[in-house]
Amino acid sequence: MKKSFVAASIAATLVLSTSSMLAHSAQTSSTSEKWKNTLQEAKGQTVYFNAWGGADNINDYIQWAADRIKDDYDVTLKQVKLTDTSDAVNRVLAEKAAGKNTKGSIDLIWLNGENFRAMKDNHLLFGPFSQTLPSYTKYVDENARQSLTQDFGTPVDGMESPWGMAQVIFMHDTATLSNPPKSIPELLIYAKAHPGRITYPEPPQFLGSTFLKQALYELSPHRKALSQPVDSVDFDKITATMWAYLDELHAVAWRSGESFPSSSEEMMRLLDDQEIDVALSFDISAASVQIDKGNLPDTVRSYVFSGGTIGNTHFLAIPYNSGVKAGAQVVANFLLSPEAQIKKQTPTVWGDLSVLSYAKLSKDDQAKFDALPRGIATLNIEELGKTLPEPHASWVGALEKEWRQRYAQ
Amino acid sequence: MPLKHIQWITGFITVLLIFPIVIGLVGTLLPAFHYFPPLGEYGFSLSPWRNVFSQGEFYAGLKLTLITGIGAPVLALWLALSLLAWGYQRPFFKKIEALLSPILAIPHAAIAIGLLFLLSPSGWIVRLFSPWLTGFERPPNWITAQDPYGISLIFALIIKEMPYLLFVMLAAMKSIQARECMQACQALGYSRFTLWRKVLIPQLYPIIRLPIFIVVAFSLTVVDLALVIGPNTPSTLAVTLFRWFNDPDLAMRYTASAGAIFLMITIFLVLGGWELAHKVFSAMTRCERSNGKRHGVSDILLGTGVILGVFTLLSAFIALILLPFWSLAKRWRFPDALPSQWTWDNIERATPLLMELSANTLIIALFSTVIACGISLLMLEIKRHSITSSATPSQQHAFDWLIYVPILLPQIGFLFGLHVLLIYLNLNGDLCAIIALHLMYVLPYVYLTLKAPYLAYNEDYLLQANRLNHRPWRHYVSVKIAMLKPALFTAFAMGFSVSIAQYLPTLIAGEGRYSTLTTEAVAQAASGDRKQVGSMALLQAFFPVMVFWLAQIIPSRWTAWRLTIKKRLKKALTKKDKTC
Repeated sequence: MKKSFVAASIAATLVLSTSSMLAHSAQTSSTSEKWKNTLQEAKGQTVYFNAWGGADNINDYIQWAADRIKDDYDVTLKQVKLTDTSDAVNRVLAEKAAGKNTKGSIDLIWLNGENFRAMKDNHLLFGPFSQTLPSYTKYVDENARQSLTQDFGTPVDGMESPWGMAQVIFMHDTATLSNPPKSIPELLIYAKAHPGRITYPEPPQFLGSTFLKQALYELSPHRKALSQPVDSVDFDKITATMWAYLDELHAVAWRSGESFPSSSEEMMRLLDDQEIDVALSFDISAASVQIDKGNLPDTVRSYVFSGGTIGNTHFLAIPYNSGVKAGAQVVANFLLSPEAQIKKQTPTVWGDLSVLSYAKLSKDDQAKFDALPRGIATLNIEELGKTLPEPHASWVGALEKEWRQRYAQ
Repeated sequence: MPLKHIQWITGFITVLLIFPIVIGLVGTLLPAFHYFPPLGEYGFSLSPWRNVFSQGEFYAGLKLTLITGIGAPVLALWLALSLLAWGYQRPFFKKIEALLSPILAIPHAAIAIGLLFLLSPSGWIVRLFSPWLTGFERPPNWITAQDPYGISLIFALIIKEMPYLLFVMLAAMKSIQARECMQACQALGYSRFTLWRKVLIPQLYPIIRLPIFIVVAFSLTVVDLALVIGPNTPSTLAVTLFRWFNDPDLAMRYTASAGAIFLMITIFLVLGGWELAHKVFSAMTRCERSNGKRHGVSDILLGTGVILGVFTLLSAFIALILLPFWSLAKRWRFPDALPSQWTWDNIERATPLLMELSANTLIIALFSTVIACGISLLMLEIKRHSITSSATPSQQHAFDWLIYVPILLPQIGFLFGLHVLLIYLNLNGDLCAIIALHLMYVLPYVYLTLKAPYLAYNEDYLLQANRLNHRPWRHYVSVKIAMLKPALFTAFAMGFSVSIAQYLPTLIAGEGRYSTLTTEAVAQAASGDRKQVGSMALLQAFFPVMVFWLAQIIPSRWTAWRLTIKKRLKKALTKKDKTC
């Protein structure tokens, strides 16, 4: 469900028209001038923010941001809670179908990966805007992570503004499993020794697809091909070892591979019910948050595979037909500010990793990041180890299709 | 109803019913042939159909859909008929009747989540017996829910459909001379089950045939229930289509549209087959029905149905009772039969939302249901008129078929086309649009619930009243409507609960700007957190259960209350006069 994410904001038409007039003045003063205009224009606007609404703590965080934005910028932020981000993509599409090219129903949308690619390719997005956001120019280091500029292999090109970072983590209950399997091959060895205790979410659920990518990355002898569009490589050859692996795994998996959990949340429930031994999440603080809510025993801990795990960045984008693009940019800019990012990384709030560059922060803000408490089951940056890059976005569809072809009949 | 311009009104209602359907259909049909301007596709092609038929998952999903979509209504019908035959007009049966409304009222997703917790290997039944009896320290690796054969899905469907059928049957019983039949047959020495099978069920079936069709179409197209408790490798065709429609690769929309059209054709084929099967079945059993035997094999069949029916109702209840426990649980781990730590936090967290959500939910449900009641009365009056005035009275009016179309079409493919229309009309994201879309789904249920009692009404009362004093409108309200109060209240309650449970129409017409208890609950269900779902389901079920309860108690007490209030008012007024 939490398929898509993140970021967006700036650039109203007004700004664009004034920019040419201001072209002569110094670069910095013109951008700050533009931003002032954006702030001015945003006053009193209502921004409908379409975001996955399946987690209380995330909804609470957005509400906190809405209160802050109302106070500071006189912009009203309203969250539209989605169960699936593609609902929002479909809505923009329906509006385009009906010729509603202004005052669309969505002003800001949390997305990444496939949904971003679909919207960008079909010209459903406003922009580029993100690279001119004050918070972006000040605090984001584009070289820090490939996923800041390449969203699943699709160039971001300023069409979405980064919001947070995610990485695959695994969870296990130390009371029942003290030495968890730390790689894809070890996972199979463990599953064979303990039939029915290992599973993964069902593709095309995004975490399920991510598990396939993780397996592919570890098992395939042709890693480099993963960054190419899938059409340009020999899919069967590259994925053969992975399917052989999955065939073996399913035979000894939870419910004999006849059924799969539908999400990370369901996996955590199964872990709590002791039906399974290892759960996955894309949210590095998931275990701590769930322990705090009483949904997992306090003996649960997170870990990552020794060879690293897949990670990505999630973003905010503005649909092409939003009627309040200035307001949407103000929101995206605020959500990218150190204040909002520090709050978001607080484990009891959300625990989502910041996209800001630590080196670019002020001493004060650095101290605040350093002082963030960590949940009892949350790994720190060093422990999270190496982040593996997402394959090109075209792989997702191909892997999902082939998986369903093989195992969903 | 003293109607004038009947033809105009008929025409207007027909357009009202047909227009959104046609638009919705066109919106699905065109992409099914690869015509979709927003993606820059202006050429027609059959490639979406080739895509559909080349997907292995399509065939596997279709097979599963047919098994669950036909199996569940057949079983639900059997169980409902058995329960009715067993308990009709027996005193204890009233209690079972009272238990039906909560099940009718509770949203599908909530029931499915409750059942999943009851039946799964780490579920409540296993917990109750572990580890002291079973020796399970950890849940066994069984497939007791979401099984690949769809048994748990069929079970969940029966739980939702059997009460509905029973409810419809109870309403329909009023229009056949059941009591007299039963007395006569029992005097002739027929056993209870046999007389039902030979005499009453054949009379009842034609009246409830259309509601049965709704149930069949529902079983074939349900998405939310199948998502929670259905198998997922493969999933049913409706869920597969749902996934295709939501695929980030927008080109999948063509395949999804073609699949949706195919699903619609499937529905009509299945309904045709069902009708044919009924014809063949009744022809084959004709001699058997009139052979004069006082007992028969079917007694065993109905008897078994009763046992299974009671068992089904019980499971539904246990599943529902467990949900509130979750909303109070902090820790509840296998194999504990009850939570080990309790808390108010879950409910407290849900409370602030309650006010806003309840207001939205109630406004939408009340408006759409009241309008639906009004339109239903109008349509039924026209239908009654056409029956009585026509020289060759036909039982079937165009309305009877039109009304089915919205509920027979798979929501997902149909609503997308409608959304485009709403945007053209600039009604998107508007409360009116939500009410209008709800009306589309509420109206059929209200109409069908009201139909049998309304048409069975003895018009002589009204004629008599008008002969005494010719005030047609006033008498229509004070005599006819007053006498039809119980049916009207029941229809209202049915429509109300249908409106409360709507998810996709609310989301699509309201563009997510209006949250209701249901949209919130489904969004929460995405988290799979049983505690939140438990709390939300509780709130979500509260209003329909209340309305059903009121629909049962108000009509019988209405007159007494009205008279008391009148008397008090009069007394107060005369007192006032005296003091003056």
